[in-house]
Amino acid sequence: MSAEIPLASHTNLPDSSTGAAQANRAVSPKGPSGPRQPRPASKRATGALKGLFFIAALPVILVLIWYISTAVGEKNFFVPTPALLVETFFATWTGDRITTDVIPSLTRLLIGIAGSIIIGIVAGLLIGSVRWLRALTEPTLEFFRAIPPTVLIPVLMLLIGIGDDMKVAVIISGAVWPILLNTIEGVRSMDEVLSDTTHTYGIKGFNRVRYLILPSAMPQIMAGIRQSLSIALILMVISEMFAASSGLGFTIVQFQRSFAIPEMWSGIVLLGIIGVIMSFIFQLIERNVLRWYHGLREIENAA
Amino acid sequence: MTSDQTSTAGTVISQGGVAETPDGLITVGKTMPDGQAMLSVRNMKKVYHTDGGDIEAVRNLTFDLPQGQLACLVGPSGSGKTTLLKCIAGLLAPSAGEVTLHGKKVTGPPKSMAVVFQEYGRSLFPWMRVRDNVELPLKNAGMDKAKRDELVDNALEAVGLAHVPKSYPWQLSGGMQQRVAIARAVAYQPQVLLMDEPFAAVDAQTRADLEDLVRSVWKKLGVSVLFVTHDIDESVYLGERVIILSSSPTVIQEDVLIDLPDERDQLETRSSQRFSELRHHVYEQIQLAKKGFRPEDAIAR
Repeated sequence: MSAEIPLASHTNLPDSSTGAAQANRAVSPKGPSGPRQPRPASKRATGALKGLFFIAALPVILVLIWYISTAVGEKNFFVPTPALLVETFFATWTGDRITTDVIPSLTRLLIGIAGSIIIGIVAGLLIGSVRWLRALTEPTLEFFRAIPPTVLIPVLMLLIGIGDDMKVAVIISGAVWPILLNTIEGVRSMDEVLSDTTHTYGIKGFNRVRYLILPSAMPQIMAGIRQSLSIALILMVISEMFAASSGLGFTIVQFQRSFAIPEMWSGIVLLGIIGVIMSFIFQLIERNVLRWYHGLREIENAA
Repeated sequence: MTSDQTSTAGTVISQGGVAETPDGLITVGKTMPDGQAMLSVRNMKKVYHTDGGDIEAVRNLTFDLPQGQLACLVGPSGSGKTTLLKCIAGLLAPSAGEVTLHGKKVTGPPKSMAVVFQEYGRSLFPWMRVRDNVELPLKNAGMDKAKRDELVDNALEAVGLAHVPKSYPWQLSGGMQQRVAIARAVAYQPQVLLMDEPFAAVDAQTRADLEDLVRSVWKKLGVSVLFVTHDIDESVYLGERVIILSSSPTVIQEDVLIDLPDERDQLETRSSQRFSELRHHVYEQIQLAKKGFRPEDAIAR
């Protein structure tokens, strides 16, 4: 019965249609390479410099190309110079727009992400743990997952109106899937020996979820959340392009329609910055939550 | 039901006998009058139903484990040792026959039983530190903090791991990880401790230490231990009794009393005359089992 199953089954994820396996691979093996011995201060300083160089090098080159091409070539109405864009950025996004557009957008985004995480994990734990429920729901879930959330916008507008509810619903309708399907997969690929161990110690019910199922599915869940973040950002913008009166998506479309080209670009830059900050915060949280997982992987890889 | 008989070696004491069972005349292990055994296995059978047909892993097993005994189950590879252990632990339901603990039929994992698995790397929670791993079953049982702390401290002390409570299991060597699993079982205060080839995956030197650890823990706690192994030397060195299993479909081939002195020592005991006699005998039996010898046929003849 307990045949030779490769060590720690959560490390070899079956390739499901969710792309969970890919995402996980992208998230995980980023531990420091090489032994973790204290290094001399001078070496650490050059190491930090090197890191800074790698972060800054490509952006600097891109901006440089942009600068040269806008300075040397013909002036193009649709492409502002870097200096103009920076100036416009601060002029556009430091005043009232923070409260009228940026904060409402971010609030909807955060509610949408939180909703996706809660719904995805709770439903995923349930569906993943109950065999008949999984058999019952999986084909249907595949169907709903295949529907592009953007086509739901007109439907949701009719059903729940054009308020914030609709926008949050659109975000959840798209962002919930990677989390949900990854959670199901994570629960399903539970290690058999660990499961037997909790059985023999009489750990069941809520304690089993808390101490066994949730932590053991956490690597996959985090990979799902990572995918959901970018989907949520895209859907936030799109949902604000329909029947909205505020928000980043709305404002950017307004700028475009009134030919306020540098302003439009500055909105796009702001979206990019929001995306980078979200990803950074996610990485910080992930590194904390999955500290054990990265450590385990590092040791397995070294062996 | 039980009849002592002397085996071919002349000096080895077999405790088992022959009994009429639903599967015909079959050799059985030592049994005790009803109600006296801690753990009782009666006519246990396990058949796996697969797409390729039924596989009879265990044909008929009958033996008793008295309170406080350390018994080793040894058999050729593929003799259904793990299946047997999982049935006893209540993780698998036997196809026929029954397992009783304190006279109560085992239908699920019993409260007074702890299991140490072979795959230490997969039986410890990698997201919990050593101390939390040991503490979890107690926490789950709703024990109060002070009592828990005491039991966990004692268990870690007993396995010689008091210095690493804050490490994660995967930061430790294989032998140390298995010590954590043993500590967890010890802290749980079971009456029966099942061990499924716990040292099969650790190196020889570590294994010797762990064997002595099992003996000392067993003596300290007074638990009944059922130790499954494929290592003949290990079974003779550890046990008060060695139950030899036939090849699959499994029945009991012989139930051997290990009359070595109670104080065992890796050097002294292993080089003693009696040890090599017993080892010789068990080895012969396992070789027979590997060649497909069936105890049933021997009885019929």
